[in-house]
Parts: sequence; C-alpha cells; structure tokens
Amino acid sequence: MQESAWGWLIITYLFLAGAGSGAFIAAVACDLLAPDWSKALARAGSLVAGPLVVIGTLCLALDLEAGFWQPWRQVYMVNNLRSMISWGFIILSIFIPIALVYAAALNEITFVGKLAQKYITIIEIIGSIFAVATATYTGVLIAVVNGVPFWNTPLMPVLFLASAISTGLAAAMILAAIIDVNTIKTLSNFALGHVIFLSVEALVLMLLVFMSLTRSTEAAASAGMLISGMLSPYFWGLVVILGLVVPFILSVFEFLEYGQMPKALVVGADILVLIGGMSIRALIVFSGTPPQII
Amino acid sequence: MPRYGIAIDITKCIGCHSCRVACQNQNSLESNETFNWIKHRDRGRYPSYDKEFIPLQCNHCENAPCQRVCPTGATYTTKEGIVLVNPKTCVGCKYCMEACPYKMRIIDHRRGIVEKCRLCIELVRDGGTPACVTTCPTQVRLFGDLDDPKSAVSVFIAKTGSQPLRPDLGTIPKIFYKRS
Repeated sequence: MQESAWGWLIITYLFLAGAGSGAFIAAVACDLLAPDWSKALARAGSLVAGPLVVIGTLCLALDLEAGFWQPWRQVYMVNNLRSMISWGFIILSIFIPIALVYAAALNEITFVGKLAQKYITIIEIIGSIFAVATATYTGVLIAVVNGVPFWNTPLMPVLFLASAISTGLAAAMILAAIIDVNTIKTLSNFALGHVIFLSVEALVLMLLVFMSLTRSTEAAASAGMLISGMLSPYFWGLVVILGLVVPFILSVFEFLEYGQMPKALVVGADILVLIGGMSIRALIVFSGTPPQII
Repeated sequence: MPRYGIAIDITKCIGCHSCRVACQNQNSLESNETFNWIKHRDRGRYPSYDKEFIPLQCNHCENAPCQRVCPTGATYTTKEGIVLVNPKTCVGCKYCMEACPYKMRIIDHRRGIVEKCRLCIELVRDGGTPACVTTCPTQVRLFGDLDDPKSAVSVFIAKTGSQPLRPDLGTIPKIFYKRS
C-alpha cells in the first residue's frame, strides 16, 4: 500500500500552472487598468505566463507512465467528464495557445503578434477566463479527492487561486525588473497587489487549518502535521514567515515608500512569494493522510 | 447477473500471507507487488492483549471513487460488479490511487499502468473462486453472490452482522468483515 502516489513532479506542475495563469491575470490587469504605469509589467507577465504553464504541463506529462511512453493514449484523456483531469486537459489545451499568442501580441513578436494585436481585448477577456480556470482547477483537482480528507474541501481551490495570483504577480515583477531596470520605481504600484493577495491567501490558509482541525480525524492529523508535527518547521519557516509575513511587510513598505526601496528588496520579496507558493503546495500534497480504514 | 463479494472472518486469520502469494502467482506479479495485504493491529493491553490480522484488498465499491476520477475511463465496473482497469487505455496518471480511500491500487512501472485486485475474474467466470479464497488454510474468506440470499457469503454476512470497512465513506464496498 502506497501512501501518496503523487510527488515533486505534480507539486511543480501545481505551482507552475498557478504562477503562469497568475502572471497572465497580472499582465491583463496591468494592460487594461494601468497601461501608463508600466508597460514592462504587462509585457513581462505575458512573456512569463505561457512558458511557465508549458513547463508545468511537461512535468505533468512526465509523471504519466504509459501515457508518456505511448502518447497516443492521451486521446482518451477527455473520456470521463466527471474527472477533473479531463477538464484540466481541456482547459490547458485552450489556455496554453492563448497565453502564447498574448505574449506575441504584447511584445510584437512575428506576424502572429501583429495580427493578434487587432483582437487584443478579446484575447485578454477569454484568456483571463481560462487563466482563472487553470489556477482554480489545480485546486479542484485535489479538492475532489475524497481519498484524502484534508484536501477534500472547497477552501482548497480558493487558496490555490489566491496563491496563483500572488505567485504570478511575483513572477511578472521579477521579469519586469530584469527586462527594464528603470521600471523598478513603478513596480511599487503593484506592491499593493501583493499586500491584498497575500492577505487573502493567509486568511484562507488560516481557515483551512482551523476547519481541518475539527472536520475529521484524518484532516486533523494532516493539519496537525503542518502546525506542530513533522512538517511544522517547513510550514512555519517557508510558508508562513518567508512566504507570507516577510513579503507582506516588504510590500507594505515598498508601497508606502514609493520607489525608494532598494532593488534587491523588491525582487527579494517576489522571490520569497515564489518560495512560499511552491512550499505550500508541497506541504499540502505531503501532509495528505488517507482515512483510517482498520 | 450475480453481484460478487467476499466475507472475511478476521478472527480466523493467522497472518500467514498465503493469500498474498496465491494472488501474486495467479496474477504473475513480482515479489514486491501484490493486490492484497495483511495489516496488524494490537488490541487491548496485557494481560488481555490480542493481535488482530486484517486481510485487505480492493473493495470493488459500487460507488467507486477511483472510477469517478479516471480521466480516460480505463477504470470500469463489469456486469458482475467487479472493478477493473483497462490496460490499453490507462495512462498511469495515478489519480485513482489518490482517490481510493482504502489505498488498494498499485502502479506497475514496467507497463506504466495502475493495477489492482481483479477478483480473479477469469477463474470466477469459469465457475471457480478467487485464488486468495481457495488457498487460505483457515478459510478466512468466503466468496459468492451477494444478491443470492441463500449463498454461503450472504448467510454468513446476515448471521454475523459483518460490515464493510468505513461504510460511512459512502463507497458501498463489497468486501465484508466479521470482527470479534
């Protein structure tokens, strides 16, 4: 009997698909709401979105066994619409091309980009719907698993969506700082995004832990593993302190001091958000405990 | 059409693992692969201490969570109520292994597909009984049609009040346990 069939490949996929779709949302939000603030952030977000989701999907494909060696088996992947993997297959098949075309459009890459620019608003609207679908579905994927009571809660997709938006914004901000050094000042505007979504994430995570402690013995065992058990050093260290509290405080100062923050701290906060996003997914997968059956 | 199930009298199990060896032999499994397990549990404290052996295998649930999450539809239920994996369409995504609350599925890395107890369907369709049932030296397992009130397994379940594992999970298992 195996305790957990999924490991690092699936965790990496959950993280990258979340960060990629979050970056897409960040890029669209930036382009639609505040185009004069920072073209660099919208461009960076669109550039990073597609590739992150593609790499994540490759991890997912690598985790398949027969479906990887004999890829033609993947045509069966849409056979059961009660399965979240079938839905994921459909959502990713639509979102990946949209994300790549969007990157081409915002950065004027080849004739595809020039053509797509004419339809940019439609791409942004449909793309955002599928970006939200991708981020949420990664949470639903594990939330419908009643073989692991800790995951089996509607809070899971909400947590994954909030985390996807903050990690996506972080990924976009890092690339924006790389492609345009002068934009570091304008990035302070988006620190408010971190303040909001890190708060939402922290709140949902707190609810998840508290609700799990009373929901069932198995969910309580998983939550216990995180807050005081074997995984607690990683939970408090990587997720709560480095992934939520420190970047939250840095982002508040970044927003208040408007553009005065050293570059290292701006990018540092974003890297911490990414570390936190990856760690929370790893800890949720590893703390999953099956029902006590005997 | 019969609806096959097994009743397991755990008070008789001596933990010899014959069922595991018979299963491996019947299904040509490697020594580290198996479709059934025996778990130990301590009961009471000295001097009223007892060790319980609990044979486990796929419960062939009527409301099978593994079947619900399978993206390719490779997991299916036969007309006799046996839950099987189609080796031609399984992609090895392991979603079913996560979904199974009993964790009774294994991944066969050589063929890249998920495998599980098949209730020895080829033997059963020829009128026989599964290998784990036949081989047991203390006759812990009883196999038969759960829909036939006169079958040995139905009579045993009714008489002893045997229950499936975790019926509260709503999976409607077809393996019943008589506990002391």
